[in-house]
Amino acid sequence: MSPSNDTTGGPYSAALLSGLWQENPTFRLLIGLCPPLAVTTAVKPALTMGLSVIFVLVCSNLVVSLMRTLLKPHLRIIMFTVTIATFVTICDLFLKAYQPRMSEILGAYVPLIIVNCLIIFRAEARASKSGPLLSILDGIGMGAGFTIALCMLAGVRELLATGHLFDIRVMPKAFVPWLAMQMPVGAFITLGLILGLINVLTRKKES
Amino acid sequence: MLKLKYFLQQSWLLLVSSFFFGLLIAVTNAALSGRIEQNKAAKLNELTKVLLPDAERFQPVEADIEVELPNGSKEKARVFEALSSDAQRVGWSFNARGTGFAGPVELVVAVDKDFQKIMGFNVLASSETPGFGDQIKTDYYRNQFVNAPAERLTLTKTGDPAAADAQIVAITGATVSSQAVVDIMNTFVTRIKDQMREKGLIGNVTQ
Repeated sequence: MSPSNDTTGGPYSAALLSGLWQENPTFRLLIGLCPPLAVTTAVKPALTMGLSVIFVLVCSNLVVSLMRTLLKPHLRIIMFTVTIATFVTICDLFLKAYQPRMSEILGAYVPLIIVNCLIIFRAEARASKSGPLLSILDGIGMGAGFTIALCMLAGVRELLATGHLFDIRVMPKAFVPWLAMQMPVGAFITLGLILGLINVLTRKKES
Repeated sequence: MLKLKYFLQQSWLLLVSSFFFGLLIAVTNAALSGRIEQNKAAKLNELTKVLLPDAERFQPVEADIEVELPNGSKEKARVFEALSSDAQRVGWSFNARGTGFAGPVELVVAVDKDFQKIMGFNVLASSETPGFGDQIKTDYYRNQFVNAPAERLTLTKTGDPAAADAQIVAITGATVSSQAVVDIMNTFVTRIKDQMREKGLIGNVTQ
């Protein structure tokens, strides 16, 4: 995907902003859907996952961008993977050391960021073709868009499954928790409904 | 010779960056591993202290105690001696694991100082279904093990959950998870008990 220069404000703000809405990885491009389905039972772990992805995305985009002229075309994917795996491992170690509780909840899903196609996609589409600044902005924008999507899903699911938000009770006592929202089925239904809603809204705007 | 030159020409970036990435991970790991180990130990201590309120610290048992898992493989058991603040033995604790409904289940089990009674267990890690299998973490289920004899336990569908006997009443809708905990107990409790007796760590008294 080429940088969208059609937005006013030049390529830099476009790189930063396109990930938030126009090219939101979860809601518009539908890539990297494993975390949105797997770790959105509560807002806190979702936010932790989102911030981890921002860290990995920004670091890997920067490194790939710096080595972009040295890349051999047929060896580029393995270079991307090695870069991403390094930063994911570092991120995983930091979570284990400073956020043991979150690390436990997220479990295998932190190491699995390595194979999240959002990150390899940004390395291929943006970082291997653009300068470091543009790549960093792109990483921040895409990561933020991803984090917002995670938190939206997690907010709906946590609220309906437990009546809590950020572990604080917000629903009245009479509210009966929807246990299904905590299970995979809840993730699929919530994601489907949000996608439908967004499509309806954007279609109205376009017509 | 030509082949080697070609190989290096193509892959020098991968070789060099792998070296630096490896170095980066090694440095991070060295900086954080102490803290990660500390977190793990703190969690184990915290979960075990609930089971043995008099315990102040836990000292690893040096003796080789092996447990044969149901799949035939042997595993060195991690047994700890629980000591009170005045260095009196108040019980034993050990890690135990097995397979539940949705994946591995890891427990920490506490027994009294003569290995006669189970003092209870806590779940270290599990991925049992929320609302069903993960009820093995509830007091209702866990309290059935408190004061149960440190011998073979059986799972029943009906019975008195309040009685401190070898009968464990299954959780409705989570028979597999309930059975998994009983199986883990049966695998570990009696085998560790027998070997500790052989090694003279506990007296030979029978009930």
